[in-house]
Amino acid sequence: MKERKIAPYVYIFPTLLLIIIFVYIPIIQNFYFSFFKMSSYSTVKTFVGFSNYKNIFADEIFYTAVINNTLYAVISLIFQVGIGLCLAMLLESRFVAPKLRTFFRSIYFMPSVISITVVALIFQFVYTPDIGILNGFLKAIGMGKYSHAWLGETKTAIFSIIAMSQWQYVGYIMMLFIVAIQKIPEDIYEAADIDGATGLQKALFITIPQVKEMTLVTSVITVIGAFKVFSEVYVMTSGGPGNSSQVLSTYLYRSAFINDEMGYASAIGVIIFIITITLSFIQIKISKSGQV
Amino acid sequence: MKRKGLMTIVLAACITMTSVFSGCSSKTADTSKDNGKITIKFLHRWPMEPNKSFLDKVVADYEKANPNIKIDMQSVANDSYKEKIKVILGTADAPDVFFSWSGEFMYKFVRENKLYDLTTALNQDGWKDTLMESQLKPFTLDNKTYGTPYSVDGKVFFYNTKIFKDNGLEVPKTWDEFIKVCDTLKSKGITPIAYGNQAPWASAHYIGTLNQKVVAEDVRTKDYNAATGEFTDSGYVEALKKYQQLIPYFNANSNAIKHDQARMNWANGKAAMIYCETQEVGEVQKLQGKDFQWGMFKFPDITDGKGDQSKLTGAPEGFVISANTKHPKEAIAFLKYLTGKEVGLKEVKEIGILNGMKGIYDTTNADAKVIEAANLINSAKDIVYWLDTDLNTKLVNVYLSETQLLTSGETTPEKMMQKIQQTAKVVKNETK
Repeated sequence: MKERKIAPYVYIFPTLLLIIIFVYIPIIQNFYFSFFKMSSYSTVKTFVGFSNYKNIFADEIFYTAVINNTLYAVISLIFQVGIGLCLAMLLESRFVAPKLRTFFRSIYFMPSVISITVVALIFQFVYTPDIGILNGFLKAIGMGKYSHAWLGETKTAIFSIIAMSQWQYVGYIMMLFIVAIQKIPEDIYEAADIDGATGLQKALFITIPQVKEMTLVTSVITVIGAFKVFSEVYVMTSGGPGNSSQVLSTYLYRSAFINDEMGYASAIGVIIFIITITLSFIQIKISKSGQV
Repeated sequence: MKRKGLMTIVLAACITMTSVFSGCSSKTADTSKDNGKITIKFLHRWPMEPNKSFLDKVVADYEKANPNIKIDMQSVANDSYKEKIKVILGTADAPDVFFSWSGEFMYKFVRENKLYDLTTALNQDGWKDTLMESQLKPFTLDNKTYGTPYSVDGKVFFYNTKIFKDNGLEVPKTWDEFIKVCDTLKSKGITPIAYGNQAPWASAHYIGTLNQKVVAEDVRTKDYNAATGEFTDSGYVEALKKYQQLIPYFNANSNAIKHDQARMNWANGKAAMIYCETQEVGEVQKLQGKDFQWGMFKFPDITDGKGDQSKLTGAPEGFVISANTKHPKEAIAFLKYLTGKEVGLKEVKEIGILNGMKGIYDTTNADAKVIEAANLINSAKDIVYWLDTDLNTKLVNVYLSETQLLTSGETTPEKMMQKIQQTAKVVKNETK
C-alpha cells in the first residue's frame, strides 16, 4: 500500500529536479543579479541596490518597448484569437465541404511551421521599398501613394512586424479552436435546430461559450508570446529605426550583449517575468469567474 | 510488493542519472594538447567570401608548414561578432588568437586584462620595424601593444567616372564644391549619393568624419575619451547640420536599405557616389560590370572647420592574443605569420586588402585600384578611428539611433546633441 503512494512521486522527481535546476534557480539568480552592475568579461560585480530599476523606469526606450509589446498583444488577440476562432467556425460549418476541410486547414497552418528567421527574411524582402512585392502590389492596384519604407519608417516598423506575426500564427490558433469545436457534442446543435436557431445564433450562443477553455488557453499563449517576442523584431529591424520598434526582449538583449550591462539586463528580465505572470494570473482569474 | 518498490526506485534513479549525464560533456579535459599536437583556437569575423576561403587556405598552409600545430578556426559575422566576443572572453573557452577592431573596442578588453601584451615579442627580431608605425598605434595603449594589423582601411568616396565626365564634373576638393556637384547631379535626375543605413554603422562613418573635420582636434580627443567626454562644443551640432545638408542628395529610404544593397545600386550605375572603405575595393571589383569605370577621392575639406583636414577616417583591423592562452609562443608565431609578409603579399594580390607591413605592395602584385587606395591611405598624415568602435558603447547607441531619426527628419541636431551630452555624463560617472 505504501509503495503505491510513493511510486508516482519517485517518477516525477527526476524531471522536477531538472526543472528546478534549469528554470527556477536561474529565475532566482536573475533576480539576485538585477541588484548588481556586472559585465560579461569582467570579474568585478558591484552592488547597486535598486538603481538598475530606477534607471529602467527613467529610460524612454523602456516605455517605447512596453507600448510596442502591448500593441503586439492587443493586435494579436484581435487577429489570432478573434479571426482564428472565426476561421475555425467557418471551416467546421456546413459552408465548407468536408473534402476541402483538410486542404484549407493545411494551407492556414503551414506558415506556423516555418522557422521564424526564414519568415522574417522573406518578409524583409516583401517590405523592401523599391523592389519589394508589397509596394509593387500597391502600385499595381493604383494605391501607390500608400507605399512606404515599411521597415525603415518609425511609424510603420513595429506594425509591419506585428502583421507578419499574424500571418504566421493565425493558422495555428485556428487549429486549436478546430480541435475544441470538434469536441462540442452534436446534440446541443440538434436541440438548437429544433428550437429554430439560425446559424449565427448557434455560433454566438453555443460554439463560442463551449470553447471558452480553449479561448482562455489561446489568449494566454498569445499575450505571453507578445511580451516575449524576440526573433521577429531582432531579425527584421533590431529595434530600429531609431529605437521605434524595440520590444522588451530586444531591449534586454541590447543591454546585455551590446551595452554589456548584465545587471541592468537582469532587471529587465525580472520586469518581463512580473508582467507575464501578472497578465496570465489576471486572464485565468477572469475566465474562472464565469460559469462553464 | 517489496520488489515492486525496489524496481520503482531503481528505475527512477536510472532516469535521473541518464538525464543528468546526457547533459555533461568531457570538456574538463585539456584537449589542447594531445598526440603532441598543440591546438590553437582561432576566431575571425568573416564567414563570407572573399576572406573566408582566403583564411581557410592561410590556415591550411600554416598547418602544413608546422605539422605539430593544429588550428581550430571559427568565424562569426560583423555585428554578431561584436556581441559574441564579449561573452566568449568571459568563459574558459576563449580563443587563443582572435579578431579585434583597434581603438576603444580593443582598449576595453585591455583594461580588463584580457589581452596578451605583445610589446616584448614585437621588439624581438625586428618584428616591430616591419610594420607601419601609424597602423600599430591604434593597437597600443599606455605604450603597450596588444595586436597587429591584418588590414588597413580608410574611408573615401567611390565615384562613377563616366557620370562625372558626362556631366562635366570635376572631383570636388572642398565641401562647397562637393555640394555643387551634388546639386548638378540632382538637377539632371541622377541620385548623387548611394546610402544604406538600415544597419546604422554606415552613418557612424559620415558623422565620424564630419566630427573630425569640424571640431578642433584637442576638443574632440578629450570628448571621445570616456572619462572626460562632454560633447558640449558647438562644432558637434555643426557637424550634424552638415550631415543634414547631404540628406536631400542621398537615395530615398536610406533607413530601409543596407549598405551592401546601396553599394550594388552604385555599382549598377544607379547613383554617382558612395562613401566606402578601401577594404571594399575587392568586393566592388567582383560586382562591377565590365565597362564600369570608377575612381576614388578623399572626403572634401571643410574650409571653415576647426578640425584637422588632412587626417583620414579609418582604422586598422587586426588580431590579438588572449591573456589566458596556454600556448603564448605558438600563438605569437601564428600571429606573426597571419599578419606578416607572406600572407600580406597574397592578401594584396588575391583579395585586394593591404595589411600593416611596410612596402607590401607594388605594381607587380597589386591591382591599380588597390594601389590608388593605398596611396590615399599613405598620403594621410594620420588616421582617425571609426566613431562606432572608438566611443563608449552607450554613446554609440545614441549616436546611431538618433542619426537614423535625423535622417528621416524626426529630430534636430540640437535635440540629438542634448541626448549625447546626457549620455556622456552617465558614461563619465561610470568610467573611473
